[in-house]
Amino acid sequence: MEAVCVENLVKIYHGGIRAVDGVSFAIDEREIFGFLGPNGAGKSTTIKCIVGLLRPTNGTIRILGVDVGKDPGVAKRSIGYAAQETAVDDHLTGWENLYLQGRFYHLSQEEIRKRGEEVLRLFGLWERRNDLAQTYSGGMLKRLDIACALIHRPRILFLDEPTLGLDVQTRTAIWEYIRKLREEHGMTIFLTTHYMEEADELCDRVAIIDQGKILALDKPGALKAALGGDLITLKFVSTDERLPALLSAIQALPGVRNLRSSPDGIHWIWVEQRGDRLIPELVQLALAHGIQVDSVRLKRPTLDDVYLHYTGREIREAEVSREEHVRARILQRRVRR
Amino acid sequence: MIVADVGYVAWRELLKFFRAKTRLLVTVIQPLLWLGLMGNMMEGLVKNPFVERLLGTGSYLAFMTPGVLLMTVLFGGVFAGMSIVWDRRIGYLEKLLAAPISRAAIPLGKMMASAVQGGFQGLLILLIATGLGVRFATGFPGAIFALVVAMTFSLILSGFSLALAARIKSQETLMAVVNFFTMPLMFTSNALFPREAMPGWLATLAQMNPVTHAVTPIRQILLFGWDWGAIWVSLLVIGGLAILMMFVAAQSFLRTTVE
Repeated sequence: MEAVCVENLVKIYHGGIRAVDGVSFAIDEREIFGFLGPNGAGKSTTIKCIVGLLRPTNGTIRILGVDVGKDPGVAKRSIGYAAQETAVDDHLTGWENLYLQGRFYHLSQEEIRKRGEEVLRLFGLWERRNDLAQTYSGGMLKRLDIACALIHRPRILFLDEPTLGLDVQTRTAIWEYIRKLREEHGMTIFLTTHYMEEADELCDRVAIIDQGKILALDKPGALKAALGGDLITLKFVSTDERLPALLSAIQALPGVRNLRSSPDGIHWIWVEQRGDRLIPELVQLALAHGIQVDSVRLKRPTLDDVYLHYTGREIREAEVSREEHVRARILQRRVRR
Repeated sequence: MIVADVGYVAWRELLKFFRAKTRLLVTVIQPLLWLGLMGNMMEGLVKNPFVERLLGTGSYLAFMTPGVLLMTVLFGGVFAGMSIVWDRRIGYLEKLLAAPISRAAIPLGKMMASAVQGGFQGLLILLIATGLGVRFATGFPGAIFALVVAMTFSLILSGFSLALAARIKSQETLMAVVNFFTMPLMFTSNALFPREAMPGWLATLAQMNPVTHAVTPIRQILLFGWDWGAIWVSLLVIGGLAILMMFVAAQSFLRTTVE
């Protein structure tokens, strides 16, 4: 069964803004699925529709086969949600935050005690559990927030910009936690991000979304490959009559798309993907033909290239209300402390 | 289940209320100032036998105690809505809405917390008043009765401000709207000034003011004694309004989304 199935989701806000415009996708169980897009692309709106915070204008959403619109209670119990705004109550301790969350999911005292310790240890917060959350760093708050989303052992976890504004160490640590959740608990994870390397590093599949529409959806590798693949630049020490035979041998290698040579002896080889794996083969092939390799260079398209290819280079200035500005500033202050 | 949900929403608020030491200190000092300063200042006025007849007592302090009690509850109650605005800002409201709790539990829990806070503050006021020499004609049961009325009244105010906060997203706007109502409510009531001494139009306004209906029964049992005939209408008004506001507040959150 699919963990999440979204069909033709449309969300039009009051005032006629089409935040999400006919989005369809499905996420398999145990998959880490990423939504990648610029500000105001419709990422958060999609997540909020799925977790039941917004009513979709149109379309159906099924969580593990359950229609969210028809049976929100059941769907809610199988999902965990950590919003972009680290929704931790500063005036409560870490444990109290977690305890309340457990109670809101109708867990018993015993369950909360057991699972609470488990998730707090997993996220390295156990020692600080009795400190007020206002003494936590931005990274700790984010970890506590995700820990709260896990207290009822959801099958699917929704993370809206889980690493926004965090430093590299914390970000890497959160990636580790996310992977661990999948490996050890078989959890399905849906995350939104606008960090390319995050999507590349973490996600099995990525959907690029802009202006409410999905522009591309595939494995990060495949998206990069679709853009033209890796480019290998090759130069030989000396060339002789054996070169044409070598070049046609190279062209016959699996995955090689195209080969061009310049008069001054530089050869460009376009490869579908994993050009790094082809390099040893190229060197061996050259040696087998009795030709010495002088230099090899590999250029791979990044997910940035893919992203810019689909979303364009225009900078987005989404119109936001003053209240949203205030919220954004609070969020920034919270993660940076 | 909804009872438990309401309980935990309220528990969160109360935990924070009793943890905020400065705020607690202020809630003690404020009634002390009101009663100690203003109560004593007005004492000279009551020496006039005419005024004494209007107030129904020779002690302005005793006259004023129900008013200060209600005023504190009034200003405390309207803050319930502010907690929703704050929760919305830090994203906690989303968290509550995403959880499988009954949505009505969110305002109802905050109303309960606000009533308990009001009861606690009321208790402090009554203790201070007792320290200043005010005595309930009905003794200890009368004091308990006064607190119950005050807590019921607090539900009206917190329900009102929560229903507003379900729609008003900004702190400043909510504060302005709420103040627009609380100040006139206070000064068109008999909380600090006897209705008998008001000009006719104001007396009519005061008669319709819920604050008056909360003050009247408390003043009755504080100054004179149990007289259900004199207070049952007011009790009915306060009780009815409290139930109505619980319903309104719950309703306004049932269909809430985060738009």
